[in-house]
Amino acid sequence: MTLLSVSDLTIEAGPPGDRLRLVDGVSLSVKAGETVALVGESGSGKSLTALSILGLLGEGLTPTAGRILFDGRDLATLAPEELRRLRGADLAMIFQEPVSSLNPLVTVGDQVAESLIVHGRASGAEARERAVEMLKRVGIPEPARRARQLPTELSGGMCQRVMIAAALISRPRLLIADEPTTALDVTIQAQILDLLAELGAEAGTAILLITHDMGVVAETADRVCVMYGGRVVEEAAAVPLFAAPRHPYTGMLLRTIPRLDQPPKRALYSIAGNVPSPRDWPEGCRFRTRCTRADAACTALPPLDAAGEGDRRAACFHPLEGPQ
Amino acid sequence: MSAAAPARRSFRAADLLSWWPAWLLFALVLCALFAPWLAPMDPDRQNLLARLKAPGFEARGAVYHLGSDELGRDVLSRLIYGARISLSVAVLSVLLSGVVGVTVGMAAGYLRGWTETVLMRLVDIFLSIPAILLAIITVAVLGPGFVNVILVLALTRWPRYARVAYGQTLAIAERPFVRLSRAMGASPARVIAVHILPNIVGPLLVVATLEFGLMVLFEAGLSFLGLGVQPPTASWGSMLSTGRNYLATAWWIATFPGLALFLLVLSANMIGDRLSDRIGKG
Ligand SMILES: Nc1ncnc2c1ncn2[C@@H]1O[C@H](COP(=O)(O)OP(=O)(O)OP(=O)(O)O)[C@@H](O)[C@H]1O
Ligand code: SF4
Ligand SMILES: [Mg+2]
Repeated sequence: MTLLSVSDLTIEAGPPGDRLRLVDGVSLSVKAGETVALVGESGSGKSLTALSILGLLGEGLTPTAGRILFDGRDLATLAPEELRRLRGADLAMIFQEPVSSLNPLVTVGDQVAESLIVHGRASGAEARERAVEMLKRVGIPEPARRARQLPTELSGGMCQRVMIAAALISRPRLLIADEPTTALDVTIQAQILDLLAELGAEAGTAILLITHDMGVVAETADRVCVMYGGRVVEEAAAVPLFAAPRHPYTGMLLRTIPRLDQPPKRALYSIAGNVPSPRDWPEGCRFRTRCTRADAACTALPPLDAAGEGDRRAACFHPLEGPQ
Repeated sequence: MSAAAPARRSFRAADLLSWWPAWLLFALVLCALFAPWLAPMDPDRQNLLARLKAPGFEARGAVYHLGSDELGRDVLSRLIYGARISLSVAVLSVLLSGVVGVTVGMAAGYLRGWTETVLMRLVDIFLSIPAILLAIITVAVLGPGFVNVILVLALTRWPRYARVAYGQTLAIAERPFVRLSRAMGASPARVIAVHILPNIVGPLLVVATLEFGLMVLFEAGLSFLGLGVQPPTASWGSMLSTGRNYLATAWWIATFPGLALFLLVLSANMIGDRLSDRIGKG
């Protein structure tokens, strides 16, 4: 059953007349209980896509086209009050910067309990108790004491756990996790990912996991959406995608994963060039300026199903064939 | 440890001394609260035989420590009772204008859009009218009196709080934790009250303290013009006003309330400055 479906989402910045298109026709879907990874380099529009699902785009950003269905309901048609009832209850999000995402003047326990209190699911004392329980579940030692502390007294890794606890306490049906492990060192990264997977499975929560780390994707995702320059360029189940990427950009991303079975020279591979900023996107295929397979045909914009077969799709006129 | 002790003690004493504005304010508050016990005489009792007597004058066993006024009332007692008017008008008008201004400013800064446009234009308009002029005109229309003075002062001064609350709210609303609380489903009212307000209390407190001093002066000004609290109730402003006529013959009537006003406003401003140094901007 499809829980979330985003179709043709377009997000623009700036005043009418001088609009800059940052997200351009993005479609993706998440089924109940599954983990979908949204990957791409910095600036490809992952966070904007996520924020627009919750209706939390910042000042100056507007979704100018597209439809977002959550559980069959068009989020754009909901009254602000109805949308608020979804947020934090059925639809939760973990933000990119754990430390600054916590209010410095509110205790950790109260922030974990926030969604229970906001939605009237528990009274003060009970909510606080459940917050302590949740802090324990995410592996925070001495949860009762920590719950009474302010976020400034916690490390970055702990703040990340607190965010996870706050997002999962209401057992949401969909969790959007924006780079939940980027700020952490590798061991804690693995712990957090395991924790997300475990808690998610326990509550039947579907996860939209945003990351630019293909290693993280390989460990956690059922399906993968690859974004480049504000567009989805490839979408496939994780196993076939890793076995045989079709879009040259996906191929490049996969080569960034450190591999134990390869000499370290390969592990150091990084992508040549940078994502051009939205003002400098080329005509046609946006990856054209960095693609080794580019030719005259690529000055036209490849549709997402230009190279599709079965339930995988890729936006490329000259897709890769076979394992890379 | 024992060698360091005296140094630390003297540092503490100096510290306490340097907080004299706070002590003075505290003392005035005590005066106002316990006026009936502290005042040697009934502030409104006239004694035509003891008119315009110099400080220290004694009549029928009663000592006029700070002299008497043109109706033979004890200046010290009137001064003590006058503190009640000054402080309560200042406190209540600061509270009222603060609540109104902060609500308006935070609503404008958080909700943005047309709410922001309408509210902040209103603030601009109010701020473009000289405050004391606006106060005088409105009190002249509404009529003088304790409650009206407070209402008028609040009406005149809320834009100041609105400005500060607006700017601070804009800054805090950008912070990621505000987005998180919205993602948790918090209503605008909750975001404003629980997540933004505590983060902007500091600068608001600075404004409130500075405004407090100003409110004392405004009240005195209105009373001086006869637009404030009405006679015979003692108010420093009205004491100044009548004392003005007797400066040559009975300097004490105007001098002591003037001094009291000066010290009260000075200490409020010094506390405000001190707070703003600690907190950052005001
Ligand atoms: N308010 C804004 N106004 C203009 N441009 C913006 C605004 N917010 C984001 N952008 C631009 O939109 C693009 C996509 O931003 P987004 O945050 O979605 O990227 P991302 O894929 O999440 O990257 P990262 O991995 O760095 O988080 C970036 O080029 C960014 O500079
Ligand atoms: S469409 Fe052309 S430029 Fe774009 S990825 Fe495919 S080959 Fe490269
Ligand atoms: Mg991002």
